[in-house]
Amino acid sequence: MSRVTLPMSDELKSNLSQPSDAGPTASRSTVPIWIIVLTLLLLFLGAVYFDRHSGWFDKQVYAPYTSAEQLASYQPKSGAASMLTHGKAVYETYCGLCHGSDGLGKPGQAPELAGSEWVAKDITSLARIPLAGLNGPIQVKGRDWNLSMAPMGASLSDADLSAVLTYIRESWGNKNGAVSVDEMKAARAAISGNAPTAADLAKMTPVERGHAVFQKYGCFQCHGQEAKGGVPNPNAKTAEQVPGLIYVADGYTKDELKTFIRRGERNIPMLHPDGPPPPHFMPSWSNVISTNELNDLADYLFSLKPKGDNLGF
Amino acid sequence: MRTNHKFDVLVLGVAVLALFGAAVARAEDQLDAETKARIDKFEKGPATIDVSKYPQGIQDNYETFSQKCAQCHKLSRPVNCDYVLPDEWSRYVKRMMRKPGSGIDSADGKKIYEFLTYDSSVRKKVMLDDKLAKLTPDEKAAAEAKIKEVHDKYDNK
Repeated sequence: MSRVTLPMSDELKSNLSQPSDAGPTASRSTVPIWIIVLTLLLLFLGAVYFDRHSGWFDKQVYAPYTSAEQLASYQPKSGAASMLTHGKAVYETYCGLCHGSDGLGKPGQAPELAGSEWVAKDITSLARIPLAGLNGPIQVKGRDWNLSMAPMGASLSDADLSAVLTYIRESWGNKNGAVSVDEMKAARAAISGNAPTAADLAKMTPVERGHAVFQKYGCFQCHGQEAKGGVPNPNAKTAEQVPGLIYVADGYTKDELKTFIRRGERNIPMLHPDGPPPPHFMPSWSNVISTNELNDLADYLFSLKPKGDNLGF
Repeated sequence: MRTNHKFDVLVLGVAVLALFGAAVARAEDQLDAETKARIDKFEKGPATIDVSKYPQGIQDNYETFSQKCAQCHKLSRPVNCDYVLPDEWSRYVKRMMRKPGSGIDSADGKKIYEFLTYDSSVRKKVMLDDKLAKLTPDEKAAAEAKIKEVHDKYDNK
């Protein structure tokens, strides 16, 4: 097909010859102040919206609830359901970090609880794990583990422990039955059955009694036998281990030490700030340990400073 | 015009960061409120000390202090805190140096202790005198002896 050339009109020709002034042009000018004001206002409103509707990013709070308090007000107050919600809250605080919210554990660190034969055992055997910790080799669902678990539940009440064990025994497909507060009380008594009697304690010195307290609450599980330290705590700034306690007499007054034990330390500084939080932390013992026990414990810990070691400075 | 534009962006950036920071701070786990308030107050102060008028040995120890202590916390914390007595400093420094992985040996610890004791007796003199006055006569004499020991070691050398 041959090309057809249309004759161009004169008007068109004259338009082509001059530069067009109809196109868009760009020029610099300041951002109008109202845009800045509007943006700040929107940011502010956004923040207010988040504040009112997100429960401040609390992972338990989803719309339409606006705060943890409101959410709690809708929870069942009694019966089996309340035991499970209470247990879940305790679980997420103390166990979930390692054993996972899904109960599947963490490879190389914490075995799964879903379908675990240890969860199905008698209540005393199961309760011994959070109460006393678990160190050394263990087999779970046919896989070998070498554990160093702290006595995460040693500072919990019977109500908290029975709730969390019930939650573990009744979640993720587990059907092992609830644990009542009375059963938990009996299990705790059975586990601490080899503790010294009151008559024994009366004959002991404060340091000896303090040692018994150290054993009773499982302090050695994290701070090591005779408080010499060395238990791994991955990503803790303290050389990835739980500190030993033999030099506390140098670094604390007895009152400072007792205050620290009562309060605990939930936030362990991290070696790598982007890494995972260290699994072990110092629980608060204020609701667990008696004043006399705490005094004896401080005496025991102060007695540990190596003799003749004036290494201070 | 161009600079104005940059300024606007800067203002927006700062505003966004401030809002974000507020959210993070609020979500952060609450440390013991009293301790946190104390630490916050200290950390708001200056992070350095003018040591130019201190003896050379103390200036050297200041270097050790800055280097070692900043590994784990802001220097403004010890610089502005209310510890001033020799025993308070020796306890605090030993507590820190005994943390596994602190990298502070007892020679370093001693330098840091000497620096802090010297500095407290000059820069925090009012606070120190106040605390000394509250001690028993025996404790006061012991504390003053320890301060004098550090001054004798470094002054006029």
